[in-house]
Amino acid sequence: MVFIDDKPYAWQADMTLADLLARLPDGDIYAVVKFDGKLISRPFFASTMVPDGARIVPVPMIAGG
Amino acid sequence: MHLGSSRTVASFSYERRDAHKGYTDRFLDMDLSRPSISVKTVPLQIKKIFVGGRGYDLWLLWNAVDAGTQWDDPQNAICIASGPMGGTPAYPGSGKSIVTAISPLTGSVIDSNVGGYFGPYLKFSGFDALRISGKCASDTIVFIDGISRKVDIIEMSGLPDDAYALSSELTDHFCQGKPMDISVVSAGPGAANTRMGCLNFSWYDSARGRVRYKQAGRGGIGTVFADKRIRAVVARWEKVSVKSNNPADLDAVKNVARCHAQEIVALDPKQNEMARIGTTHLVPIMNDFDLLPTKNFQFGSHPAAFLIGREAFEKLFDPGFDGCWKGCTVACAHGVKDFVPFTGAYRGQRVFVDGPEYETIAGCGSNLGIFDPYTILEMNFYCDAYGLDTISVGTALAFVMECFERGLITTDHTGGLDLSFGNRLNALELVHQMASGSGFGAIVGQGVRRMKGIFAKTFGADASLLNDIGMESKGLEFSEYMTKESLAQQGGYGLALKGPQHDEAWLIFLDMVHNFMPTFEQKAEALHWFPMFRTWFGLCGLCKLPWNDIVPEDNKDTPEPAKVMKHVQWYADYYTAVTGNPASPETLITMSERVYNFQRLFNLKMGFGTREHDSLPYRAMGPVTVEEYESRQQRYDDQLTGTHQVDIIGKDTAWKVAVLREKREAQYELLKDAVYKRRGWTSDGIPTVATVKRLGIDFPDVMTLLAAHGVK
Ligand code: SF4
Repeated sequence: MVFIDDKPYAWQADMTLADLLARLPDGDIYAVVKFDGKLISRPFFASTMVPDGARIVPVPMIAGG
Repeated sequence: MHLGSSRTVASFSYERRDAHKGYTDRFLDMDLSRPSISVKTVPLQIKKIFVGGRGYDLWLLWNAVDAGTQWDDPQNAICIASGPMGGTPAYPGSGKSIVTAISPLTGSVIDSNVGGYFGPYLKFSGFDALRISGKCASDTIVFIDGISRKVDIIEMSGLPDDAYALSSELTDHFCQGKPMDISVVSAGPGAANTRMGCLNFSWYDSARGRVRYKQAGRGGIGTVFADKRIRAVVARWEKVSVKSNNPADLDAVKNVARCHAQEIVALDPKQNEMARIGTTHLVPIMNDFDLLPTKNFQFGSHPAAFLIGREAFEKLFDPGFDGCWKGCTVACAHGVKDFVPFTGAYRGQRVFVDGPEYETIAGCGSNLGIFDPYTILEMNFYCDAYGLDTISVGTALAFVMECFERGLITTDHTGGLDLSFGNRLNALELVHQMASGSGFGAIVGQGVRRMKGIFAKTFGADASLLNDIGMESKGLEFSEYMTKESLAQQGGYGLALKGPQHDEAWLIFLDMVHNFMPTFEQKAEALHWFPMFRTWFGLCGLCKLPWNDIVPEDNKDTPEPAKVMKHVQWYADYYTAVTGNPASPETLITMSERVYNFQRLFNLKMGFGTREHDSLPYRAMGPVTVEEYESRQQRYDDQLTGTHQVDIIGKDTAWKVAVLREKREAQYELLKDAVYKRRGWTSDGIPTVATVKRLGIDFPDVMTLLAAHGVK
C-alpha cells in the first residue's frame, strides 16, 4: 500500500512515481510532490521508484518567492 | 548606549486620533528642509479611490513631485503607509508597510513592501501614511512617539554606520525599557554610496531578545533616504490587539482570521513548510525545472544547487516561530544565529543574519556561480547592514561576472579583481566596495543600466551584447526567476509597473509547467487579474504569501486553482469586516485597477510609461549566445521546427539563434498588444480616457497628461 494525501493506493513492484500518478484522474497536474518528506519534481517522477508504504503529498506550486 | 550628542530641531505635539474601521483618515507630512511637521486630513474622495497603503503613497507622491523631479531633488518624497487591515494581529500577514519614492535606478515611481512593525505602529500613532520630503543638513532621526503624541526631528551625531548596529542602538535609546514598543526604519552606508539602497524595517524579537529586520529592497528607496540625510525614522507604540483597528464587525474579523490562521497551521507542515524553511524550498524546485538563474541568467540549473537549498538552510536556520508581524502563522521570517563573517567590519564576531530568502540565495548564490551557503549568508548579512538590496546586488554582480568572463571588462577595469563566476571572496569584496563607494564597486553600485553605458562608452565594450545580457528593464535589476521559456512571465516582468519584480505576477508554473494559458488572450487575462489582485494586498497593508503559498486541500478541484478563490473570498470578507464597506472578489480587483492605472499614469507623468519602456533584454526571452542555445539544443530545435515550422537542416547554431530571436521578440510584441487591450490601454500602453473615466481617476491633471500624449 502507498498513500497519497493519506489515501491508500495499491502498491506494485517496480512502480515509479510517474506510474503511480498516472493512475490518478488528476495525476497530470502535479508538478512537485513530497515523497517521504523529500521534494521530487516532475522531471524526476519517471526515475523515482516507489517503495511499499511510501507517503506522497502533492505540493501546490502556484506561488513564487 | 553609545550615541553622541543630539539636538531637537523641530517638535510637534498632536491630538492622536484612534483608528476607526481601519483608518485614522490623517497623514503626517514632514518637510525636512524647513523643517516642518504637520498633520493633514485624507479627503473622503481620495480614501474611496486609493483605499490605503500603496494607493495613499502614490497620491501623496504625485502631489509632491512634478514631471521634472529627479530622485535627489528635495521635492522627492518617501511615503510610507499601512492600510485599513494593517496592524490586525489575528489575521496572518497583516503587518506590511508599503513605501514609495522616485527611484534613483528607474527615474520613475517605485514601490516596495516590507514587514516589520513600523506601518502598524505609524497607524496606531494616528497616521494612515507618512510623507517625508526635503533634506537635512546633518544626520537626522525622525521620532514618531504615538504614546506621548509627539513628533521630533532630531539631529544626532555618533550614530553607528550600519543598520545592524543602528536599529539595535536606537531601539535601546527610545524604548523606555520596552523594546517591543519600537520599530526603526534605517538604511546604511551602501544606500548612501550606490543607487540600490534598501530600507530596513525592524521589530523586536522578544524570544531571542534582539532586534530583527526586513527589507524594503527594490528600487533604491534607501538611497533616497540616505540622500536626505535621514539616518532613521523611529515609531513608538504599545499594545496592539484585534480591536486596535476598531473594525466595523469585530466578530466577523475574528472568525475569518481564525479560519485562515488555523488552515495555515494545519496545512503548511504538509505543503511548503514555510514556518520551518521559509522560501528555501524553491531553490531545488526551480533548479529541477530549469528556472534557477545561474551565471547571470544564462542557464536554469546547476548540479551543485542542492548545496544552497532547503536541505542546507533547514540545518542553519535558528528554529523558532518567526513572523515579521504579530500573529502571522505562516511565520516564514527565519534567520541564522551566531554566524561568524570572515570579511568586513564584523569579521570574527557572532552576528544574527535575517534570512536568507529564495531571492537572496539565487541572486547572491547560483546567479554568481556560488554554491556555498556561508558566502550567501555573509552577503545577506552585509547587504542588510549596509542597506543594499540583495536582488539588485546579485543581478548586478552576475552581470559584471559575465562581462569579465567574456572579456568585456578586465582586471584593468576591476581594480585587479578576478570576477570569474564562483569567485566568492571577490564577490564579497565588491559588496564592501559598493558600500564604501570605492574602487570598481562604485561603478557596480550604479546598477546594470548605468554600467552598460559606462562599459560601452568608457571601456569600449560591445554595446549590443551588453544590452542583451544586462538583466534590467526600466532601470531595475531582474528578480531571480528565469523567464526564457515562459512568455507569460516575460510579460509578468516586462509589463510590471516598476520593473522586473515578481510581486506583480508569477506565472511561470501556470504557463510553462502546466500550460494553462496557451493563447495570447489567456495570457493577457492572467496578466490582468494577477497583477490587480497582487496590487490589492499593497493597498490594505497585507502580505500576499498567506493567499497562495498555503492553499486549501480541495483547491486543485476548483475551477480556477491558481486564483485560490476560497482565500480571495476570505480577503473580501476581511476587508468588509474591518472597513464596513461591502466587498466581493470582483470589487477587490476594481480597487486595484484604479491604483494600478494611476501608477501607470504616474510613470507617464515622469517621462516613462509607454510601450518602449516595457522592453526586455533578449536574455529574458531566449538564448543570446551559441553556448546557451547548444546547452538546450533539443528544446530550441524542436521549437523552431515544430512551433515555428522552420527548416533548420544544414543551418549552424548562430543562424538558429538569430531566427529564434526574431520569433520570440515578435511573440513578446503580440503579447504586449493583447495585454494593453485587456487592460483598456492604447497600443502605446497608455490608459485610455474611457478607462480612466470608468475607474474614476479622471482628475484634471490626469486628463491634461493624457491630452498631452494625444490620448482621447
Ligand atoms: S507570511 Fe512571512 S513575510 Fe508574510 S507577514 Fe508572515 S512572516 Fe512576514
